Amino acid sequence: MTVLATVAALATAAGTGPGAAHELDDRLPAAVTMNFVPPPPGSYALHAIMRAPDGPVLDHDGRRLPLSRFTSGKITLLGFIYTSCADPRGCPLTSQVFYTVRHRVAEDPELRERVRLVSLSFDPARDTPVAMRHYAASVPRNGVEWAFLTTELPRTLVPLLDGFGQDVRVELDARGRPAGPLAHVLKVFLIDERAVVREIYTTSYLFTEVILNDIKTLRLEGKTARRAAP
Amino acid sequence: MRAIRVRGTFLGGIVGILALALAAASPAGADETCNSPYMGNLIKGQEDYLYVWALGVKSMGDGADKLVTIDVNPASSRYGKVIHKVSVRGRGEAHHMGFTDDRRFLWAGGLDNSRISIFDVGTDPARPKLVQTIADMPAKTGYVGPHTFYAMPGRMLVQGLSNAKDGGGVTGMALYSNKGELIATYPMPATGGGDGYGYDIAINPQKNALLTSSFTGRKNYMRNLGELVKDAEAMKRFGNTMAVWDLKAMKPKKVLSVPGAPLEIRWSLKDGDTWAITATALTSKLWLIKPDASGEWQAKEVAVIDDPTKIPLPVDISINKDGTGLWVNTFMDGKTRYFDLSNPEQPRQTYERVTGKQVNMISQSWDGTRVYIASSLLANWDKAGADDEQFVRGFRWDGKELKPAFEVDFYKEKLGRAHHMKLGSKALKSAYGLERTATLR
Repeated sequence: MTVLATVAALATAAGTGPGAAHELDDRLPAAVTMNFVPPPPGSYALHAIMRAPDGPVLDHDGRRLPLSRFTSGKITLLGFIYTSCADPRGCPLTSQVFYTVRHRVAEDPELRERVRLVSLSFDPARDTPVAMRHYAASVPRNGVEWAFLTTELPRTLVPLLDGFGQDVRVELDARGRPAGPLAHVLKVFLIDERAVVREIYTTSYLFTEVILNDIKTLRLEGKTARRAAP
Repeated sequence: MRAIRVRGTFLGGIVGILALALAAASPAGADETCNSPYMGNLIKGQEDYLYVWALGVKSMGDGADKLVTIDVNPASSRYGKVIHKVSVRGRGEAHHMGFTDDRRFLWAGGLDNSRISIFDVGTDPARPKLVQTIADMPAKTGYVGPHTFYAMPGRMLVQGLSNAKDGGGVTGMALYSNKGELIATYPMPATGGGDGYGYDIAINPQKNALLTSSFTGRKNYMRNLGELVKDAEAMKRFGNTMAVWDLKAMKPKKVLSVPGAPLEIRWSLKDGDTWAITATALTSKLWLIKPDASGEWQAKEVAVIDDPTKIPLPVDISINKDGTGLWVNTFMDGKTRYFDLSNPEQPRQTYERVTGKQVNMISQSWDGTRVYIASSLLANWDKAGADDEQFVRGFRWDGKELKPAFEVDFYKEKLGRAHHMKLGSKALKSAYGLERTATLR
């Protein structure tokens, strides 16, 4: 699947490209139905799960920056992608949800300047800054930051994957050589302003309304903390 | 009524019934259709490995609890053979296991020593490696007896069976990061009809529902069964409830009355289904948990497992991938039973076979054609003498008949008591660290 085709898939719902082997689980449809009313923002706790890892990344202009530049100072929604991904339950689903969340955040003046989205590639060989720039070009500006990042080499990527606990497998051919798409468990990380991971979503729980409520919960928490500060 | 010899003690009459009833109690959730919905990488084809968490037996081999790997691919020259084992420190009543959400790590608990052993099964699925041990769960949480290990995104939810203060059944859940760091604790509901007890965990993300069940505390499950059944007060301390939780908020919403130690919980995996099923060990029933017409969660008795007066003692259950059938192992009579769940309101037993002198755990492949059975319940509750068979047996299931495929005699192999089983695949090799770096290049 080409980058352009993937971008097209981004703009649509869950993508309809040829089914790449993303993971072995085909239990769930591309879009998971949320059959409940989520608890209101601030009525529950989002515990500190772990500190977001840091390390060098490349932005879509090829500038070498620390990832912490993109995981602190704002409430951040971060997901790993690769631009050739075609599994409708994988990267395209993440991007679909990111689109929706970003649209909703843009409509909320309380959140617009305080939330960012980050898509970080785990395919540095193919997802160069140029490729990420092309990918980002399909995203309309709406005032909400969406960073498309990659890394220079696998050795700079792997510590970030390890730090987030993000798996990735490479399909092998009959002779044991890398072949076919990357495979991974879809994970999206909600990170607070202090670069602490506060929630992790996977395919079974990637609900826009829940994510928005979680973002608002962190926002309420931040406001409370600021009020309590001397 | 027959007298049953349990760990060298002959029990008859009512004591025998109680012993039988008690012997029901501690099974485990296990298999490809019963994993956490947050876990990716389900094995839909032929599995290669069966991981067995085995209880060490004094003076048998190294005497330690161990993770045993059996080759279960019929195409392999090592089919049905033990290909690897890794021991942990000492004997701690090895019991249940659970994969992390990415299936790279397998967490395994000891009910007695409350240690959690974490094995790397992603780097080389044929050769699991012990990479971390969590030894401070009692000190940090107040809970003991880590039982169910349920994957959540980036985290592991661990259900305790007991508490460090009095060894009773009041307990809670502990949430760890996948790196093994404690994140939060959640006490089981002890008000609104709750008994504070815990046993199994099962989540339905689409309903934002977490179900828990209840068993008994360490003072009971580590006690010699013959002594326990003579203690009328101790006999009262078994769980009779399930709880429905608001998953997102991790707050109990409703306590359901389910008498007789409701154990394993299985959600139907069929799209659109919103029900779960459990078996009560002491009363030998199947119970259905589902919302009523108004959306209120209810528990309903839907079937009897054999004649409860015969004390068949249902232990582990395994639901098939489309929620139309349920395997039930009954420990005391050594039977493996199949229930037709086409109508979950009226399950019907359609098949049974004696698969051992004592049977506890049962696991099935995703397509249901391969069924694995293990023998041990708890070290102090297993049968004695010639009835104390310890094995893993593999079967083929064609929808009509369970046909033996292989057997590993755990005593003959000096491996101990075979308890919980999980499946593995060489395709899930995660090419991690340096190896992954190389493949990505």
